Amino acid sequence: MGHTSLDKIIALQRNPANIRNLCILAHVDHDQDYLLNLIDSPGHIDFSSEVSTAVRLCDGAIIVVDAVEGVCPQTQAVLRQAWLENIRPVLVINKIDRLILELKLTSQEAYSHLQKILEQVNAVTGTLFTSKVMEERAEKEKKEEEVEEEEKESKILSGDQVYDWSAGLEEADDSQLYFSPDQGNVVFASAIDGWGFSIQQFAHIYSQKMGIKAEVLLKTLWGDFYLNAKAKKIMKGAQVKGKKQLFVQLVLDNIWSLYDAVVTRRDKEKVEKVIASLGVKVLARDSRHSDPKVLLSAICSQWLPLAQAVLSMVCEKLPSPIDMTAERVEKLMSVGPRRFDSLPEQTQELKRAFLQCSSGENDPLIIFVSKMFAVDTKTLPQNRPLTQEEIAQRRELARQRHADRMAADQTAAESPKMEGLTLKDSQPEEEDQQTFVAFARVYSGVAKKGRRVFVLGPKYDPAQGLSMMPEGSSAWDRVPAVPHLSICSMDSLYLLMGRELEELDEVPVGNVLGIRGLEECVLKSATLSTSPACPPFIPLNFEATPILRVAIEPKHPSEMPKLVRGMRLLNQADPCAEVLIQETGEHVLVTAGEVHLQRCLDDLRKRFAKIEISASKPIIPFRETVVRPPKVDMVNEDLGKQHKVAIIHQVKEASQGRPSDTLHVDHSGLVTLTTPNRLATVSVRAIPLPQEVTCLLESSTELIRTLEQVNMSLREGKSLDISPRTLEAIAGLKAQLESLLQGRKWRNAVEHIWAFGPRRYGPNILLNLVEGYQRPSLWQCLGRGDQSGEAGAQAAGMRDLDNSIVSGFQLATLSGPMCEEPLMGVCFSVERWDIQSAALPQHQDSLKEDSISHGALTDSRVEGSSETWTAGLCQARRRPQAASADCYGPVSGQLIAAMKEACRHAFQAQPQRLMAAIYTCEIMATAEVLGRVYGVLGKREGRVLHEEMKEGTDMFIIKAVLPVAESFGFADEIRKRTSGLASPQLVFSHWEVISSDPCWVPTTEEEYLHFGEKADSANQALKYMNAVRRRKGLYVEEKIVEHAEKQRTLGKNK
Amino acid sequence: MSIFTPTNQIRLTNVAVVRMKKGGKRFEIACYKNKVMNWRAGAEKDLDEVLQTSSVFVNVSKGQVAKKDDLTKCFGTDDLTEICKQILAKGELQVSDKERQSQLETMFRDIATIVAEKCVNPETKRPYTVNLIEQAMKDIHYSVKANKSTKQQALEVIRQLKESMEIQRAHMRLRLVLPAKEAKRLKEKLKTLLQVVESEDFDEELEMVCLVDPGCFREIDELIRCETKGRGTLEVLSLKDVEEGDEKF
Repeated sequence: MGHTSLDKIIALQRNPANIRNLCILAHVDHDQDYLLNLIDSPGHIDFSSEVSTAVRLCDGAIIVVDAVEGVCPQTQAVLRQAWLENIRPVLVINKIDRLILELKLTSQEAYSHLQKILEQVNAVTGTLFTSKVMEERAEKEKKEEEVEEEEKESKILSGDQVYDWSAGLEEADDSQLYFSPDQGNVVFASAIDGWGFSIQQFAHIYSQKMGIKAEVLLKTLWGDFYLNAKAKKIMKGAQVKGKKQLFVQLVLDNIWSLYDAVVTRRDKEKVEKVIASLGVKVLARDSRHSDPKVLLSAICSQWLPLAQAVLSMVCEKLPSPIDMTAERVEKLMSVGPRRFDSLPEQTQELKRAFLQCSSGENDPLIIFVSKMFAVDTKTLPQNRPLTQEEIAQRRELARQRHADRMAADQTAAESPKMEGLTLKDSQPEEEDQQTFVAFARVYSGVAKKGRRVFVLGPKYDPAQGLSMMPEGSSAWDRVPAVPHLSICSMDSLYLLMGRELEELDEVPVGNVLGIRGLEECVLKSATLSTSPACPPFIPLNFEATPILRVAIEPKHPSEMPKLVRGMRLLNQADPCAEVLIQETGEHVLVTAGEVHLQRCLDDLRKRFAKIEISASKPIIPFRETVVRPPKVDMVNEDLGKQHKVAIIHQVKEASQGRPSDTLHVDHSGLVTLTTPNRLATVSVRAIPLPQEVTCLLESSTELIRTLEQVNMSLREGKSLDISPRTLEAIAGLKAQLESLLQGRKWRNAVEHIWAFGPRRYGPNILLNLVEGYQRPSLWQCLGRGDQSGEAGAQAAGMRDLDNSIVSGFQLATLSGPMCEEPLMGVCFSVERWDIQSAALPQHQDSLKEDSISHGALTDSRVEGSSETWTAGLCQARRRPQAASADCYGPVSGQLIAAMKEACRHAFQAQPQRLMAAIYTCEIMATAEVLGRVYGVLGKREGRVLHEEMKEGTDMFIIKAVLPVAESFGFADEIRKRTSGLASPQLVFSHWEVISSDPCWVPTTEEEYLHFGEKADSANQALKYMNAVRRRKGLYVEEKIVEHAEKQRTLGKNK
Repeated sequence: MSIFTPTNQIRLTNVAVVRMKKGGKRFEIACYKNKVMNWRAGAEKDLDEVLQTSSVFVNVSKGQVAKKDDLTKCFGTDDLTEICKQILAKGELQVSDKERQSQLETMFRDIATIVAEKCVNPETKRPYTVNLIEQAMKDIHYSVKANKSTKQQALEVIRQLKESMEIQRAHMRLRLVLPAKEAKRLKEKLKTLLQVVESEDFDEELEMVCLVDPGCFREIDELIRCETKGRGTLEVLSLKDVEEGDEKF
């Protein structure tokens, strides 16, 4: 575009037929001028989102393939993206010089090599095509099946059931799809030496030289043809007869001999002969140059200029915006499962505007924004420093004005001082301003500066919009609020020229442009239109989904707001980055891969946030649970028959365990705990819940929350209006629980559920198995539970303290004893609960129980024993022997603490396990890297669930599960190991119990023999548990030095 | 007294001495460095890894072994292992640098964890991460005191952090029900303690839902209990008023 002026570009923009919107790769002297919009996109797989955004705006793509490396994973990805967007690709096979100079192939070998590459590329296109046909067929079959089923009943006897075994491939025409030199969509090139050709050029040359028709040559120059010199005929079957193919003889041999003469042998005479025969002029300076490459490129760039070859192919083979196929338009405009035909009529009319590609005043304007990119406000055209010319112009103007004023002032006989004529920009620029420019293309109509348009979000429904808005309304009018629709004006329009932006007043149809002023309404991509009937375009399909999660933190905590703002900007600027704040307060950035992450972090540091940041592994959540006691030990021996070996540490534990008289644990796991004032006693047992119950509780948290609200209002004597549907759902939940909790152990358990926890709606249950204690049922809203049969005075007193037990349970389930993570799937059954009534009256008259119970709740929430947090309680403790009850605080508070401790001990009395969060992982991989995928999965404790082949391709789809704890860097590793041929996708799926016991030590003789005394083999659960404990600053059982004798001797004086 | 020559003496290096006074006498045992604290915490289970020799001394550096009579008189037994265990558990010792360092590190983490649990960013109502709090604690050069409880220190840290960053104790959400008669008078008194009043409903009784600083809870509780003579109620709706769930930008 070097020699083309801005005016000329604007003139060219007016005629869409002269526009070529391209994806990867200027202006050639053909019969007419063309305007090419080139969008270059990076090749790394992490940035394939950039390709996605570029491809959407283009009509064609130039795909460049390395002649030596052939088809790489990225080439496949690019081809797939071009295919999905329905744009026409052309192929450039580059770096042919490497075949000659590096690999030293003969022309014959090079020919077969090139043929192979072409076959590879076509094979990729072929699989894309077949998979599409298969999909269509599957869809068709599904429909047919539906129809058939109806029909079957009617003609079941007809016996006309001939199954169609053809795959449908025969019917579909695919000849236009493939790359083939004789189709003219392939260019062979060596960009470094400046040459490139399509076979048309050679066909043209030889048709004159040899007197064979150009069309015949065009068909035979590529393929298994040879020239019969005697008969002067082109014959088929070169390979069989051992003859040189036409392409080798006429094309490659010439290039090979040129390289041989110029580079390899440096034969001066021969070079001169070649130069003479080619009719090119070489400067004496070039021919004398010591580097033969200079001479080579001097000859080649005149003989077979690369630019011309590529550009003529582009102009001839790639479509202009006018030639956009109806199929592509329909595809763009039909979002999701909706078919184009189902869109409203007005919308279908827009398709005409699309196809006509007219830029009349009255045509509806349709623009698609594919991404937003940030630009320094300073570099915008209106803020750019002025050019010399402009400065001179302004100075002239200012001088004139000054002269006028001088003339006027002279009458007042005053001589003002000469003003400095320096020009300053009027607006003081803010240093670190970023402006977002939308990268977009006009699909219909003319984009004008300042025009107001509708911004259509991805979920906008034109039918709904049309019905809500008055007929013929435009974006200037005040319109009623329609979901997913907003209005904004395009402040400036820019022509994108590499890094430069040129301001334009209007941009007609078919052009790529930049728009400023949309940052408020457009997040990443959007459809802009003047007509509300326009549907939003289908979302961009990204080849790589964000997968690598890191937690971002500012170096200085006070800079948090800057970080948040920066991350918001990054989110808008990068189509493939996701940013979220987690419940734990972490700011998590999800990127496509390591390289992408590095760029995002750089952008954050230097452009968006401008602060020091650090990225680290995100916090991994765990859950704690209990399981049934195992029947066999670690070496699969039956536990029942063996003697436990008394080992040192067990004796140790017994002696070290606090000999407290308030706590009693019996060997069936029932824990009895008395409050410090010896007035209340609770007995609790922990039981593992069946997995299905846990899942059910997990999935119905919302319902349990409403149930809790209902119960709370019922307790206060108010009645809340509950919709019959909620009641039905609650009854359903109860029935499901009943069906899942069966067996002797769970008899009547559902009726006795006291509470759920933590936070009153979690996946843990508190059971009321206290004999003689009646409390309003949890299910009382269902009207079935007998309405609180009046019990004795004792029970009434206990009911007041009911809340304390629940609170204790909530606290215990919120953070377990293993590493203070929430519990999951544990049922605590309270089997005994005694209160000495002596204490109660004393408290009942002075305090309202309900209120203190909560008072104490906060105290114990603040970590068990609560001293320092509330001054009042603190004082009560310090007073040594005041009134005996008071020195331990209120009864309800003690009961909470006791209940919490009892639950924790009951939990510890059972075999404890950690639960890890698990991702499901879907991996697409080709057959040759399948083994390596399995290797990476195995190393990271993953488990393959199943694999299947994707129909019509050679890709396998592997479904596996992988612990979240092992997922950091997983995507990157798998990509590295498989050289990018496999790409995983991770989604959180469920919690899973880690089978190994974190507290395990060898106890039986067999285990002792097998593992030794210390069992140093790695225990995954223990590793996780210790990592969490260390992070939280909890006590980790770890020795400072392992072997006392092996420490460095400090005193060496003797 | 035996002859004191280099050949019949056992030299002990890397000794950590644990002393205990019992029955008016001083006893010492010779232990390895960095092991006594582990023994006390239960991480080290092998006594031989802790003790250099199982004999009990009167003075370790001089190599004077305690007399058997004294031992039986003071400890009531002459089982040396038993006595060593007692001294290990209750005796005093110089804590080594490594032991102290690891102890302080753990306490530092613990304080940061408590702060992170209790506090939120007042702008977003989201908690800060432990890492960030640790960073902030380092920035204000907070030094851990080994003899104060971590909770006490956490409160102190929160106070200091407020000066350098946006941080606040997470509020509690309370629901107060006050009888109509005292409502107006009580409300005046409560006004200073309540941070935010979210809703107010006055028909027969005054019902308020409000956010308060957890530190004021006891005061409010006391006030309501005393003034209304048990007729007003106070209910905790949530202990920590924080945003739940993930948020996408």
